[in-house]
Amino acid sequence: MTTETMTTKRELPQGIGRLSTGWIAFFAAMVAVTVVGLYAYFQQLGNGLIVTGLRDLGTGGGATWGLYVAYYVYFIGVSFAGITVAALIRIFKIEKLEPVARMGELLTVVSLILGALAILADLEHPWRAIVNLFEFGRPQSPFFGTFSMVIAGYLFASLVYLYVTSRRDAARLALQPSRFQGLYRFLAAGYEDTPEQRRIDRRATFWLAIAILPLLVIAHSTVGFVFGLQVGRPGWFGSLQAPGFVVLAGVSGIGNLIMLAAIVRWATKTEKRITVDAFAWLAKLLLGLLLVYLYFTAVEILTITYQASAAEQVLSDALLKGTYAWIFWGAIVSLVAAAVLLTWKALTRRWTIAAAVAAGILVNIGAVAKRYLIVVPSQTHGQLLPYPIGSYTPNWVEFAVVFGLFSLGAIMIGVFMKVFPIVPLEEAEQ
Amino acid sequence: MTTRGWITTAIAVVGVGLMVVSYLFWTTPACNTTVACSNPRVPFAAGIFVLGVLIAFSAGAFYSVYKGGK
Amino acid sequence: MAKYAMAINLDRCQGCRACMEACKIENNTPQAVFWMYVFRTETGEFPDTKMSFMPRPCQHCNNPPCVKVCPVGARFRRGDGIVLTDADRCIGCRYCEVACPYGVNYYNWRTPTEAFAAYDVDFTDPEVEAVTGGVIPPYKNPDLDRPQGDEQRMTAGSAHSVGVMEKCTFCVHRVEKGLEPACAEVCPVHAIHFGDVEDPEGPLSTYLRERAGFQLLEELGTDPSVYYVGGGPPTAETREIERPLTEVQR
Repeated sequence: MTTETMTTKRELPQGIGRLSTGWIAFFAAMVAVTVVGLYAYFQQLGNGLIVTGLRDLGTGGGATWGLYVAYYVYFIGVSFAGITVAALIRIFKIEKLEPVARMGELLTVVSLILGALAILADLEHPWRAIVNLFEFGRPQSPFFGTFSMVIAGYLFASLVYLYVTSRRDAARLALQPSRFQGLYRFLAAGYEDTPEQRRIDRRATFWLAIAILPLLVIAHSTVGFVFGLQVGRPGWFGSLQAPGFVVLAGVSGIGNLIMLAAIVRWATKTEKRITVDAFAWLAKLLLGLLLVYLYFTAVEILTITYQASAAEQVLSDALLKGTYAWIFWGAIVSLVAAAVLLTWKALTRRWTIAAAVAAGILVNIGAVAKRYLIVVPSQTHGQLLPYPIGSYTPNWVEFAVVFGLFSLGAIMIGVFMKVFPIVPLEEAEQ
Repeated sequence: MTTRGWITTAIAVVGVGLMVVSYLFWTTPACNTTVACSNPRVPFAAGIFVLGVLIAFSAGAFYSVYKGGK
Repeated sequence: MAKYAMAINLDRCQGCRACMEACKIENNTPQAVFWMYVFRTETGEFPDTKMSFMPRPCQHCNNPPCVKVCPVGARFRRGDGIVLTDADRCIGCRYCEVACPYGVNYYNWRTPTEAFAAYDVDFTDPEVEAVTGGVIPPYKNPDLDRPQGDEQRMTAGSAHSVGVMEKCTFCVHRVEKGLEPACAEVCPVHAIHFGDVEDPEGPLSTYLRERAGFQLLEELGTDPSVYYVGGGPPTAETREIERPLTEVQR
């Protein structure tokens, strides 16, 4: 605290407003990747989706949903973490996690934006899609829940949450002259740090958290319903899809939050604020969700192999020992490895940040692979009529757009870190 | 209840009300056998639903930002 | 109101694919797009194999999964049972394509002119012109560019514009004029019957009443308006004898 108190006299905390060479290099690299992604996207916009690896299923022998949809599902899943952690802190008063709350909320906002962009990248007429969804949207379509509840409701609710929990810091930063003083004043909107105001904020965030938690379950379930309600594609229809999506969303989201927290801790030199305890808490949450997900996966494997219909068997063969086996077993191995690592750490009670981050990386590899496996194999191998087995390989355009989305997200988080304290400021500073 | 509380509740009720009404009565009916099942009963009903969601959650921001009142 | 349906006699079908050709000419569908498709399949082990044929138009389900999932109501079922796509409203999300168990949907991956231009014939060649009379196929069927039916929506396929879905329309532009779909009209062995299934004394109802038949993938509850007569539904053993478009690996 002493170091921060001294620096606040002249400079903003956590390196806000000061561009280090490392940050500029990171920013330039991310912009370069984003530009490549944009180039690929404009190729697609100009020539049609023919430039991607996607093709019609059935006689076309391809998959019509591919990497974009897989990553759309993945990004929506990542959004789980932030707002859950933030809500858990308010509802159960877990103070150790306080320093990672804001970056969690930010992660939610950013990943929801990326999810929306990923699905727009899948459409040839993005503008028509936006207008028509608002004008003609049908609640009967599972996509209605996705665009109204997830993109609009969830994103907006997260923004409100982020704002309400950030006002006090904005008011404090507005007290000292800096290039962002005007912005802080605007954000603070006349905030006065009185006990009464704190009480109001606590109550507002508590009720927002209460309102957001069901929204969270609904939002991630609707993404599961996009697949789980379709009887026409072997491997999709099932009541486990929606809960499975919610839980895997939690796994990938918490995993991402752990990685982001480690990076922020290193980049903003806030080792004293973000303690190993915080990582241990997140890792335990991750372990719990991961075990539930592994259980779901076991149930799923048993169901598709025990006495499945002929069409389901073609699909399960492709998954377990055919074309997709390397992705499937790769996913299982990384998820199980993460579970073993976390269980070992939980039993020995010796948590390290490195172990938590390693688990976070492993579960995200597993999550991306599982999302891909939900979307693609049911189209190439899940045919109910005697169409030939199809194949789909994402090409450079799709990879460029997806990497572009990731770097766009990194830019958003990077810029936020240079404008606003990503770790909430300490209580007793003055 | 305070003015703050009343206004916040009012905003939330308006938002949730818009959601419920637009979802149940203004959007496309939940059927799939006639042309009418493809058109919303009120144009931009889905947009109104989304607006309802936004209004409902902006109550939280209002509650925190509102100044004055007793 | 009439309710249109189709009866396809599998005992009669000889797999000539004239219906596929007629459909392409009538609807000007781009390359690699088969609104009507004929499976040529075999079962059994060599030398004891049995070959069979099964035309597959859009099934025009009475409980259509594609209509349910369409987020904007671009895919809809008319009261007369024809399931159509509004090309002006479609956002190209391809949800109908993955929801359809029959694989009848086709997405316009590129502007069709590009696909149309892919013939290996120089139509300006005088020798070719002598045969074609100066007509450069594919000419465009002007009916496709007109809004159809009471709802007056662009459902006949029109420009096959890039980024929207399309599928068999039961030749709605012909039905509106009181004609049969092109596939039914052109079939040399009269395997495809089209008509009003709600008229109890109509030819289609009589035809169906006299024969045992089935609907494709009945167990999914989609209730297709296409009834198959004779033959049998494909089984797990049924395999296609050709690979239609792309050389795909197992």
